[in-house]
Amino acid sequence: MRLIDADIRALVEADRVHRKVYVDEEIFQLEMQRVWKRAWVFVGHESQVKEAGSFISTTIGTEPVVMVRDKSNEIHVIYNRCGHKGAKVTNKPCGKTPMFRCPYHGWSYNLDGTLNVTPHKVGYEDTGFDKSDTRFHMGKVARVENYRGFVFASQIKEGVNLEEFLGDAKATIDNVLDRAPTGQIEIVGQALLYMHDCNWKMFIENLNDGVHPMVTHASVGDACRKLLGQLPEGASPPPEAEIVFPFGSSYEFFDDMGVSVMPYGHSYMGGQSSIHQDYSDVEGYRDKMVARHGEEKTQQVLAQNRHNTTIYPSFTIKDAIQAIRVARPIAVNKTLVETWHFRLIGAPDALLHRTITYSRLINSPASMVGPDDWNCYARMQEALKSSSNDWVDLHRYLGREEIREGDVTRARGTSDLSMRNQYQAWLTYMASGNCDE
Amino acid sequence: MNKQKDNIDLRAVEAFLYDEADYLDSGNLDAWINLYSEDATYWMPVSEDQQDPLGEISILYENRTLMQIRCLNFNHRLAPSFETPVRTSHIIGNVRLLEVESMADFTVRSNFHLVMYFQGEQELFAGTATHHLRFIKHGRRTGFRIYHKRVDLIDCAAPHKSIPIYF
Ligand SMILES: [Fe+2]
Repeated sequence: MRLIDADIRALVEADRVHRKVYVDEEIFQLEMQRVWKRAWVFVGHESQVKEAGSFISTTIGTEPVVMVRDKSNEIHVIYNRCGHKGAKVTNKPCGKTPMFRCPYHGWSYNLDGTLNVTPHKVGYEDTGFDKSDTRFHMGKVARVENYRGFVFASQIKEGVNLEEFLGDAKATIDNVLDRAPTGQIEIVGQALLYMHDCNWKMFIENLNDGVHPMVTHASVGDACRKLLGQLPEGASPPPEAEIVFPFGSSYEFFDDMGVSVMPYGHSYMGGQSSIHQDYSDVEGYRDKMVARHGEEKTQQVLAQNRHNTTIYPSFTIKDAIQAIRVARPIAVNKTLVETWHFRLIGAPDALLHRTITYSRLINSPASMVGPDDWNCYARMQEALKSSSNDWVDLHRYLGREEIREGDVTRARGTSDLSMRNQYQAWLTYMASGNCDE
Repeated sequence: MNKQKDNIDLRAVEAFLYDEADYLDSGNLDAWINLYSEDATYWMPVSEDQQDPLGEISILYENRTLMQIRCLNFNHRLAPSFETPVRTSHIIGNVRLLEVESMADFTVRSNFHLVMYFQGEQELFAGTATHHLRFIKHGRRTGFRIYHKRVDLIDCAAPHKSIPIYF
């Protein structure tokens, strides 16, 4: 069946979405064409390709790409597809190379994707083959922009620029950089790669779902409480407790955090308060911040507490925790979630150590939090195959206590507002024809 | 050092490793955690050459406190992922001594295959476990203790689904 725009519009209503958006193969393929080609999708951070020839391979939607720095220091995002027979040119997750060479017939490419050499040239003479024709290159992704080190790409030539797309989400990235006493960050170590048996939107929607932690993650709080109960009298609680306990916070706490949404489907929870607000001070950090920013600005920077700034459709970043997570859709029911960690250059190591501990406890496939989210997504993926009820509910706080401030709308933290906002963006991408049409 | 190696009762070390695996497979986590010293660490890196568990992410890196919390969370009735319990079966082999400080302080490496049944699916893990063991004389608790355990999965850097178990 060929879906027309009206069919797609019929899947999204003000207070519900049709189950097809999660389980229908054709919708998934359309999303790859329309959402993941049009939107600015996070590719990587520039610190992952520090030197000329450094590259990482990743995906935009289901398209394999390479992000690489060339000899003139420019960062390119090119398709990881040979211009000859279409083989994936590199299988390495990252590396350093003077050029790319396809292992099948030996076509080699410059770091900007242009064709360098085809072996045994004689066979191409007088055939009309033109080495400069971009169809024979590792093609360039249409648009690549870098916001303060964060590299995003869009696969369509025309559209809003990255800064306009990010809007108020820029303030989260700005805050992250302000938290570094040198104003710089760098990615450290490998990513955690967590394979989910669910549609990519379930992961993205959960990022600002403030009404699930007290249920889904109830066991962790209980386990922590039991452990504290076993401690000898007067013993101080383990430092990890401040990371795990907020996941058991009350509905009221999450309501008070609030949720803020903006154009293009982005959102965040918190702002003033969040589950990261009560972390203990790290010795020596504040002094370094004051030396850079002065007292007043240091206070401002550290007071910003946004929980999961979701940059739709691919990316989420926190400010008090130095981690980013990226959704890489694989199939309608399969999504790879990557967690990357970064160092605030110039800050005490203890801050990075806290992030690493947080991520092991919350984001790792072996953590006590992520697997219960995973399990709930997989349950939805399975049960939404049922045609007993075609609709998925988005009612919470619908039209209630929504406050508009310019481009940003704020609501109570357990509102479904962030999901309703994501589906408005989804419709804009999905119900306006194909990119190539 | 080779002489010291000869003096260690490898059969006793193997029996200790089998006991650890059996405690895990049978869900006897109280007995399992008591094989670890108070200052023990348990590490499962995300890359094969990883050296830094604090400043780089790992799949798992826990001290005794975190191990205790995880044991209390294991098969918890409020955890959706444990609505159906997880089951495992270990096979341990190729047990060999590495560094031997003394007969009471040495490192032993073994290979494992672990089959996990979880959330309706069966999954196979393989890798090496490196145990730093000490022999403690302490009344009824006399025996080996684990001071550090490092588990290297052969696919540590690959995407994984949930890993709710110890190895
Ligand atoms: Fe969650």
